[in-house]
Amino acid sequence: MKTVRLISLICLVLLAGAMVGVVAGYSTPESIVAAGKVYVSSATYDPAVFFPGDKGTLTVEVTNGNANDTGISVNHASLSSDTAIKSTSRPYDSSSNLGPGQKKTYSFQVIADGPDGTYYPTFSLDFRDADSLYYRTLAKIENTPIVLTIVDKPDTYTQGKKKTIYAQVANPRENTVRNIILEVSGTGITATPSKIFVGELAAGAKVPVNFSVTADQPTNLHLLLNYDNGDNPHTVTMDVPITFGVDKKQANPVISNVKVKNDVGTYHITGDVNNAGLETANTVMVTSLAPAVPQDPYKTYVVGALKPDDFGAFEVTFSATKADSVPLQLSYRDADGNVYTSQQDVKISASVTGAAATNNTGLPLIPIIAAVVILAVFIGGWIVYLKKSKK
Amino acid sequence: MKHSIIDLLVRPGAFFQNAMNDKESLKFPALIVLVGGIAGALYGYLIGGLTGQLLGGIVPGMGTIIVLSTAIGALIGTFIFWAIWAGVMYAFSLIFKGEGTFRRTLEFIGYGYLPQVFGTLITFIIALDYIPRIHVPQLSAAASQNPDLITEAVKALMHDPAMMELSQISMIISMVFLLWSANIWIFGMQHARKLSPRDAALSVGIPVVLYILYMVYSMAVM
Repeated sequence: MKTVRLISLICLVLLAGAMVGVVAGYSTPESIVAAGKVYVSSATYDPAVFFPGDKGTLTVEVTNGNANDTGISVNHASLSSDTAIKSTSRPYDSSSNLGPGQKKTYSFQVIADGPDGTYYPTFSLDFRDADSLYYRTLAKIENTPIVLTIVDKPDTYTQGKKKTIYAQVANPRENTVRNIILEVSGTGITATPSKIFVGELAAGAKVPVNFSVTADQPTNLHLLLNYDNGDNPHTVTMDVPITFGVDKKQANPVISNVKVKNDVGTYHITGDVNNAGLETANTVMVTSLAPAVPQDPYKTYVVGALKPDDFGAFEVTFSATKADSVPLQLSYRDADGNVYTSQQDVKISASVTGAAATNNTGLPLIPIIAAVVILAVFIGGWIVYLKKSKK
Repeated sequence: MKHSIIDLLVRPGAFFQNAMNDKESLKFPALIVLVGGIAGALYGYLIGGLTGQLLGGIVPGMGTIIVLSTAIGALIGTFIFWAIWAGVMYAFSLIFKGEGTFRRTLEFIGYGYLPQVFGTLITFIIALDYIPRIHVPQLSAAASQNPDLITEAVKALMHDPAMMELSQISMIISMVFLLWSANIWIFGMQHARKLSPRDAALSVGIPVVLYILYMVYSMAVM
């Protein structure tokens, strides 16, 4: 019995010794030290910050930091799925050798399937001759869209007049977004340009976006902002109401201090044009309309640009027959080149001939009285002379 | 000419009494009228220049024609008026049974033109000062298609303040010197047609006063 026990014990010791011999054949102190010098040199998510539901890529770069001829054999690389960041790609199952100083890149498809927050999916890499490498990556989910704002726009619009809208695209996210395109549309709207490519916008950056709108009817202007977060398309929409009316700030040139002078059928009208609006009136011009026929030298008078509260003098010349008044046309352009016209009637009959009559056509009393007196003196003198000569 | 010009101007009765002793001659009266005509032509040249400026724009060269025709017209017109005045006064003297030839009447009326020569010269000198101040409207070639425009232009020229003033001064001066001439003509007609002072005054005074009233009327309605 003792012999059997002894033999069993010897067999057990031999078996244990054999097993220890197998283990000692793959994992050595040197291989464990060498595996310790393998590290994750970088782990990058694209996009850097996910929207909920976004798909992306995790790229992990592993570096063998050993020198000399110490290569490392790796068997298995995988990404553990987090609660919100889930890996959708298979693990790396094949063995490979990572030479001294070499780098190896592992890519994993992921999907952000959770609410806003910061998550830590773990990358693991198994060594053949040592234990495994574990690395916690950092992933963020943030549901903050790109911001489209209207910086300035006209108070009201006029049918067929081009107006400029000043917009701005800002990126409040922590990562860069790409391929930003703004599309402008609407019923009865002609937008210039109708599609604006902004491109890439870094985190915290903003860019102005201006476009002109010509509306044929009151409507809603539809703004659609497309952009990509990684490879995931996203949109922002905005509606801007287009209403017709009088722009409270628009330039308002007014004719005043009008003086009319008639130079034999050719009328000269002089006056001032005051800009009573709040915007600059460009290329202000004054001319006369039918029944007036513009004549040289001032068929049309170009006053030029008038800033708010500024004024300029003008003079127009024209001929007119059988007309008591003639309309003066005043035109100007706004900053978008739209032409605005207004008319003002000016009386020419009373003002012209009336002034002339006052000065020139009144009865010349003084010369008439002088003539009568001289004539009376002459006749009287002769009557007296004749009476005296009779005596 | 045996008699003094001073006598003609100051003592026309004595002048014509002596002149009746001389043979009828139009030489000296014609010379006076010629000088008056030249003075009138000078004045006409200035006034015609204004009209020339006014209408010169319609047809190139028209201004020169107007100036020359006005000056020549004034010269010739003075002689025509001499004859008209003489004819009218001769006709009036017929009412009063005047005696004497028309030639003598023409001669004495010619003498009586002398004060008007002075008057025209004074008017001419005053016009030299006024003419530059007169604003002459400019008419373009297109105005030739519109007679109303030309009428209006002429009206505007006549109503120019400086032009109005010149016309009034000219009228007063003309009237004063015409009355001076009339004074001489009365004595002239008295001797030329052998009229009484009253008949002579009426023969001369009626046409002259009518003419002056016409001048005043023209001035008033201008």
